[in-house]
Amino acid sequence: MTNTKNISDNPIVIKAPVSKRIVRPILRHVWLAFLSFIWLLPIIWLFVTSLSGYSGINTSHFFPETWSLRNYKKLLFQPDTVANFPAWFKNSMIIGIFTCLISSIFVMMTAYAFSCMRFKGRKQLMSFSITLGMFPGVLSMIAIYFVMKMIGLTNSIVGLIIIYSAGSGLGFLILKGFFDTISGSLRESAKLDGASELTIFTKIVIPLSKPMIVYTVINAFLTPWMDFVMAQLMIRSKDPRNWTVAMGLYNLVQKTLVGKYFSVFCAGGVMVAIPISILFVIMQKFYVEGITAGGVKG
Amino acid sequence: MEEDKISLRHYFSSFGTAVKNGNIFTRLSLIIMGLGHWANGQIVKGCIVTAVEAIFIWVISLIGGTYWPKLNTLGTVQREEKFDPLTMTKTVNHFDNSLLILLFSIVGIVIVFFFAIYYIYNIKQIYEVQKRKEAGLHVNTFKEDCREMINGKFFITLLGLPTIGVILVNVIPIIFMTCIGFTNYDIDHQPPTYLFTWVGLRNFKTLFTSSVSDSFGYVFIRILIWTLIWAVVATFTTFFGGIFLAKFINDKRTKLPAMWRTFFVITIAIPQFVTLLLVGKMFGNNGIVNGICSQIGLTGFLQDIGLVSKGLGYIPFLSKPGWAHVMIILINIWVGVPFQMLSATGLLMNIPTDQLEAAKIDGASERQIFWKITMPYIMFVMGPSLVTSIIANINNFNVIYLLTTDFTTTNMKFANSHGKEVDLLITWLFNLTNNYSNFKMASVIGIITFVICVALTLLSFSKFVQGDREEEFQ
Repeated sequence: MTNTKNISDNPIVIKAPVSKRIVRPILRHVWLAFLSFIWLLPIIWLFVTSLSGYSGINTSHFFPETWSLRNYKKLLFQPDTVANFPAWFKNSMIIGIFTCLISSIFVMMTAYAFSCMRFKGRKQLMSFSITLGMFPGVLSMIAIYFVMKMIGLTNSIVGLIIIYSAGSGLGFLILKGFFDTISGSLRESAKLDGASELTIFTKIVIPLSKPMIVYTVINAFLTPWMDFVMAQLMIRSKDPRNWTVAMGLYNLVQKTLVGKYFSVFCAGGVMVAIPISILFVIMQKFYVEGITAGGVKG
Repeated sequence: MEEDKISLRHYFSSFGTAVKNGNIFTRLSLIIMGLGHWANGQIVKGCIVTAVEAIFIWVISLIGGTYWPKLNTLGTVQREEKFDPLTMTKTVNHFDNSLLILLFSIVGIVIVFFFAIYYIYNIKQIYEVQKRKEAGLHVNTFKEDCREMINGKFFITLLGLPTIGVILVNVIPIIFMTCIGFTNYDIDHQPPTYLFTWVGLRNFKTLFTSSVSDSFGYVFIRILIWTLIWAVVATFTTFFGGIFLAKFINDKRTKLPAMWRTFFVITIAIPQFVTLLLVGKMFGNNGIVNGICSQIGLTGFLQDIGLVSKGLGYIPFLSKPGWAHVMIILINIWVGVPFQMLSATGLLMNIPTDQLEAAKIDGASERQIFWKITMPYIMFVMGPSLVTSIIANINNFNVIYLLTTDFTTTNMKFANSHGKEVDLLITWLFNLTNNYSNFKMASVIGIITFVICVALTLLSFSKFVQGDREEEFQ
């Protein structure tokens, strides 16, 4: 407002006050830099600690006094009785790939059925699924353990794959929201041309929803990498070769081990973060699209 | 609701008509399910349907014979071991396992339920075919029926497997755990060595009463209050934090927005359990933050002003109630804001620009535009998801569990009930089952958490599944 006044009073002084022109943008960027600093600090610490020359935890200095790659060497090439990263990585990879396959297919199938088909009891079934999803997962974990024990699948990777993917049909909401936006007349005309629902599903709807499907697939792949509670409950083996990455890393920072393995844990954290970051960069774009597409549907 | 009732009545009445008006074969299908199909010339289908019936009868006779009769007591014969000194072997009597009795009974009931639906569907279908045949219309061959499964009835093919999966890992476990809430299944009643049995509403009473010996009531109220405070505060801080951050970064006066955004997104890319464990260690009693605080004299200063008791040589960031509560919420802001920032960024880019332009021409200030146009738009789109995030935060296991692994309570009442001041209902119940085998109380807490979540959702329920809006976009 002072700006307009200046102009009308005195045509020569057209610049805004110094505070507005120089100080404010600087303050703005200083503030952003400060926030970024806070957000990045733990990440930097994770990274530098993983490069430290000792394996325990350093409580007095942010940067390690000695630098080396021995934590990575230890992690990757010298598996011992508590840390066996190659085996963990293999297990998590197998679980991730299969879970990703099965649950993406399940999600696509339920989303198509609920979005593009009309049948009796559709709405009731949808409300039921949403209510079901609200039951605290931690509580049913124990019961899932008993069910899996009954089928004899505890302590096995197959059991974990089943647990992660079997219930995934409930997560159809976002993808269904996206399918809803695909024009119905497109499907109608395909039907008139004699296409079956299966053809419409595989040849029209799926190719049209590629971005959302990439999002779904990556999300499904990441689930088993992030979860450790379920894995810990199911895999009771004391042999680290049977663990997943999340379980193994969690174990490394327990009270008895943290003194000896903290830097190794950091190295492991960095190792997991790299593939996930790459996936995330790919997913980021779709993530934003997915959230907005799902959000508009409410 | 009313609509549901009518459609349910129609569902059964059409079954009645089918039985009443069906010919002898249709009626006989009530006993041998494939008969009607055979009579109508659908041989293969008839065989499949009859085979399904035979398998069902076989399974149910197994479950029904062994487990259902014991469901009302959950078993009476306790496990006993006898050592035979002559043969040097142990013999175990034929004991009951309450857990298996309950589990298999539930599995049986679920099977019966789905078979009943199929049974009714089958009779109706046979009646339809019978009518078609009487009218001289074409009756589907087996091949045509198969084609129908990828066409008009494609949804059955699509939903079949996912439904079985959901029943296996969601429905059965949920029914099972809910039942446990009405039994005395705890550390003293653990199968296979011991039996447990039904106790009615006793566990609910325990949860709501507080006496000298039993502190569940007190702890429950304390944890419930903290859970609700946590859910609301955690949701709103990250929600608005994310929106403001997105707004700040996307502002045209900010240089290099993509770079700033990447800085924050990096924190999402690292798995949450790694960052949470890491931050938990940073703020631990002997962690690096405490090391630095005592070096620069902050610990001493806080001791002087009374925020930290003199006896401690460190700042109890995550080990004393109060401190831990605040820290958890702050760390959660750290974890959650980048996520919200990302989704808000997408939204801010999608705001209809004509509105913004019009407002600018009308002379609205930045602030006015933000509060009068941007915020209402964001609230319109993201509003419903706020309720979802509150529910997600009520069930936010990871943040609390990973940050408070070293927290030990000094309050006797909490210790007696195996709870902690910083526990949410969900972490409390996990602790009860995993470390103390107190399944009955865990189940009751779970049921209550579920009721709270459902109540919250009902507030915004219609927005989720309102079918009316689906067609708008098609």
